[in-house]
Amino acid sequence: MAGAPGLKAIRTDDIAASYRPLAGVADELKTADGSIRPVWRPFLDYLARLPADELAQRFARGDSYLRDAGVYFRQYGQRGSIDRAWPLSHIPVLLHEDEWSQIASGLSQRADLLELVAADLYGPGNLAANGFLPAAAIAGSAEWLRPMVGTQPASGHFLHFVAFDIGRGPSGEWWVLEDRVQAPSGAGFALENRVATARVFSDYYAEAHVPRVAGFFRKFRESLGGIRGADDNGIAILSPGPMNDTYYEHAYLARYLGLALLEGEDLAVEKGRVVVRSISGTRPLSVLWRRLDSNFADPLELDGASKLGTAGLLGAVRAGNISMVNALGTGVLEEKALFAFFPGICRHLLGTSLEMPNVATWWCGGDAERDYVKANAAGMVLRPAMSVRGGARQAVAASDLSARNGRHFVGQESVTLSTTPAWENGALVPRPLSLRVFLARTAEGWIAMPGGFARIGHTNDPKAVAMQSGGSVADVWVVCNAPVKADTMLPLKSTPYVRPRPGTLPSRAADNLFWLGRYVERAEGTMRLLRAYFIRLAETGDAESPLQAEVREYIEDLGVDPDEAVPEALRDIISAALGSAAKVRDRFSVDGWMALNDLAESAAKIAHTSSVGDDSARAMSVLLRKITGFSGLMHDNMYRFTGWRFLTIGRALERALAMTSLLAHMTREDAADGSLDFVVEVGDSTLSHRRRYAVRTARPTVVDLLGLDAMNPRSIMYQLGEIRDQIGLLPGAHAAGEMSDLSRAVLRVHTDVAVRTPDDFSAEALLECYEGIAGLSELITEAYLK
Amino acid sequence: MLYEILLHTKCTYARAAAGRQLLRLMPADGPTGQRLIAGAIDVKPQPAERTDSYDFFGNRTTEVCFSGHNEEVEFTVRARVDRFGRPPSLDLSPGLDRLGSDIASVMSLEPLSPHHYVDASPLVRSSAEIADYARSITPSGATTIETVTAISQAIHRDMRYDGEATEVDTPLEEAFAKRRGVCQDFSHIMIACLREIGVPAGYVSGFLRTEPPKGKPRLQGSDAMHAWVQAWCGLEAGWVEFDPTNNMLTGLDHIVAAHGRDYSDVAPVRGVMRTSGGQEIAQSVDVLPLG
Repeated sequence: MAGAPGLKAIRTDDIAASYRPLAGVADELKTADGSIRPVWRPFLDYLARLPADELAQRFARGDSYLRDAGVYFRQYGQRGSIDRAWPLSHIPVLLHEDEWSQIASGLSQRADLLELVAADLYGPGNLAANGFLPAAAIAGSAEWLRPMVGTQPASGHFLHFVAFDIGRGPSGEWWVLEDRVQAPSGAGFALENRVATARVFSDYYAEAHVPRVAGFFRKFRESLGGIRGADDNGIAILSPGPMNDTYYEHAYLARYLGLALLEGEDLAVEKGRVVVRSISGTRPLSVLWRRLDSNFADPLELDGASKLGTAGLLGAVRAGNISMVNALGTGVLEEKALFAFFPGICRHLLGTSLEMPNVATWWCGGDAERDYVKANAAGMVLRPAMSVRGGARQAVAASDLSARNGRHFVGQESVTLSTTPAWENGALVPRPLSLRVFLARTAEGWIAMPGGFARIGHTNDPKAVAMQSGGSVADVWVVCNAPVKADTMLPLKSTPYVRPRPGTLPSRAADNLFWLGRYVERAEGTMRLLRAYFIRLAETGDAESPLQAEVREYIEDLGVDPDEAVPEALRDIISAALGSAAKVRDRFSVDGWMALNDLAESAAKIAHTSSVGDDSARAMSVLLRKITGFSGLMHDNMYRFTGWRFLTIGRALERALAMTSLLAHMTREDAADGSLDFVVEVGDSTLSHRRRYAVRTARPTVVDLLGLDAMNPRSIMYQLGEIRDQIGLLPGAHAAGEMSDLSRAVLRVHTDVAVRTPDDFSAEALLECYEGIAGLSELITEAYLK
Repeated sequence: MLYEILLHTKCTYARAAAGRQLLRLMPADGPTGQRLIAGAIDVKPQPAERTDSYDFFGNRTTEVCFSGHNEEVEFTVRARVDRFGRPPSLDLSPGLDRLGSDIASVMSLEPLSPHHYVDASPLVRSSAEIADYARSITPSGATTIETVTAISQAIHRDMRYDGEATEVDTPLEEAFAKRRGVCQDFSHIMIACLREIGVPAGYVSGFLRTEPPKGKPRLQGSDAMHAWVQAWCGLEAGWVEFDPTNNMLTGLDHIVAAHGRDYSDVAPVRGVMRTSGGQEIAQSVDVLPLG
């Protein structure tokens, strides 16, 4: 706290003076008379003390954390989607704990109200029968699911995890802008916002009396356990998969909370129970945290075209055997038509007014309301009253509202949001703000995540806040008067340590890991082949020599064009590896993911700049270093869980296949001169050969070293041993003392090779061996991956 | 009129299939004019699981799950139904211009509430072509029942019955553009027209008497399950059923299986089978009057 007090005051005031909120708009930092709100004062003093270049360094530190953590956000444009860096606005939004507790209280009331409305819409239907809700508004909603009417949720509640977008109006009060109950996103991003922002202001944050957000997740995780009840069945996140814009978050939360990340394809329904299809058979589930929209959940009773769902899921829900967070069909609570009726419903059901109002809304299905909206159209926004399946409803002008189309629309009072400071071009500027507040149901009632997520507009238009159109996201700090306790994900009390049961590996995840192993090895093998070819081409300049012609043909048979410096086929293999990895991101370290991405990007970049020959040989060396870096991460750092075994089996199988094929073709009697040296080079065994045999390469020495030598990790024998060992450790390898079909087949192939001598491991024998190894892949798929 | 109904459905799969199917094949018990005296669904091969239940609209459902590999799945329905006529009634429906206030006065989300049937449903959406057509065939100054009758007549006049022109999943817009189709297409087009002019309308699946009474022509659609339309004609008249394929009000020859907003709510066999090849469904229906 060095520096003269006078200087400090001047600089804080400097910052404050240049920050000018818009007239008629509430601001978080400044009051209407231009003074700084007390909750901001210490932070502003701190900010003022930081030299400009240090501040820039700190912001960069936060950004690089997010980049290294792999936080991204998928943005949809007219031409597909792109992954965009997480747009963090580094200045947090500061709210005093008194204000926060009012927000939390108002939103808890609203969550209770939504629960009661859901119970009525899927129960007796009294709200419609007694005129508190128009039947037309509910019946017209694509999110009101008729097959769920009459179903009581197994957990006893429809809602367990909800979010609200709220904004502050001109006179300082908060309004609810959106209810988010279908599959609210952002909670995982809030965690990352917090980590990044706390890094930027690490020295300040530690002393700022700001409660952590981790405790919220710990309690939510505990309450999920409570929903599960006495049984020991699984809890999982149900995701629509990697194509979804928030898949990153699904994978992140699964890792953070220690839950399985599943897709509809992983699930099946057996005798009214939801089960996971895993490599060790089916395992029951009790709780699904659903990030999949309801209509996609069950093609049997809902959207029949859905490829994301599980047939029979609704039946399991009706049978009371699975709890959904939140219940299927709760998306109807998000319909804008309901906004018009919540104030009346709240008085009717809770006997009191809404603590926090929602944006004033008129449903145009009523004659009087429609006339009012038309007469006051200037201050209103027309929005769809209910969601429709298969595209949005065509917008109309207020003047075109009629008795016929009115029910499809609501008029909403235009909202002017408050502004909060963002750092742009070396100064604080006011930007419009909406908060997303997350609530979780616990045994003691609703709890709110203390801050974490605000959306910030990118211009000063107080009506525009949307990430999709270039806005950003900021952390929200709830500032307390007294120091706060550090809170973590760990259980509070010291309970005896219980080693958790190993989770089940879904067949789909195992399949992706198996193929990830195969593709990565296939890419590496292809690079080695190409490099050996390019080196010879650079040395002799002759693509027509017998050896080069033979190698060209071999490469072309693999579908690879040797006239490209970084052949497209190679890049396709890398993309396939990336695609498999993307589907199992929750089982994967961030470093591994980044390494693989880096490989794909480098390959694409080099492809543009390299030419065939010496240049492309060097390019292959660069890519080989990168891919072996990735393999090293996988094989040195990954925990030996069952998934790792599939990755390893995939790699070993691919390597054994490639070597068998190469030996079969390149060690024939009539193979071109130099073929044997070529094989030894591709097999990365030049040094070993020299050391072991001390003679020129001959067919017996090459077949011995690369085919039969159990100590050489490049040999067929070595890889078959690896496959045999790993398969022996998979569940079901031995049933009731007997070997499985797969174990038997592995042993047969392994033994066939083990008893060979270099002389009788002929080209024919090698091709036979190839068929045997390829057959193992099919048996593995049949036994575990379907 | 007492009927014996025998329905046989056979699904043949090119590659072995396992999966789950939802059946709505049983004749309905009620609500008015029809009583199910006895009925059973027989499933071959024996399913691993079977659940009999009712859906939101009160239709009887049978959910079956096959775990093994099957090349053929057969459903056989045997039912005895009493179909009795309501006496011909006066036209109690309001003018079309007053139907809207009748609808608005219904404060209910019960299955028979007209509110379920006014907006787009999964297979029936509004389109400019249908809207133009609907307006062109709507008489002016008519009661709701007169209007629905006129629309049924117009569709019967303008559409040609053609079993080859469409498939079960052909969108109604395509059938309408061709002006050809079967009972499913006729019904969807009529529902779209009715909703377009503000009449709540739904889809009815069912059976037709196989051999007509003496001296009457054989009706279209009696060799498989049939489909027709229900229209809500005001508080007094309620739901009235029309068969646009045969241009008639439904009568004692029509036996209801299921009601819904469109075909997707009442599909006789809705299934999610894991199979890598194609599938074929063959159906035969016999509806025989007793005595």
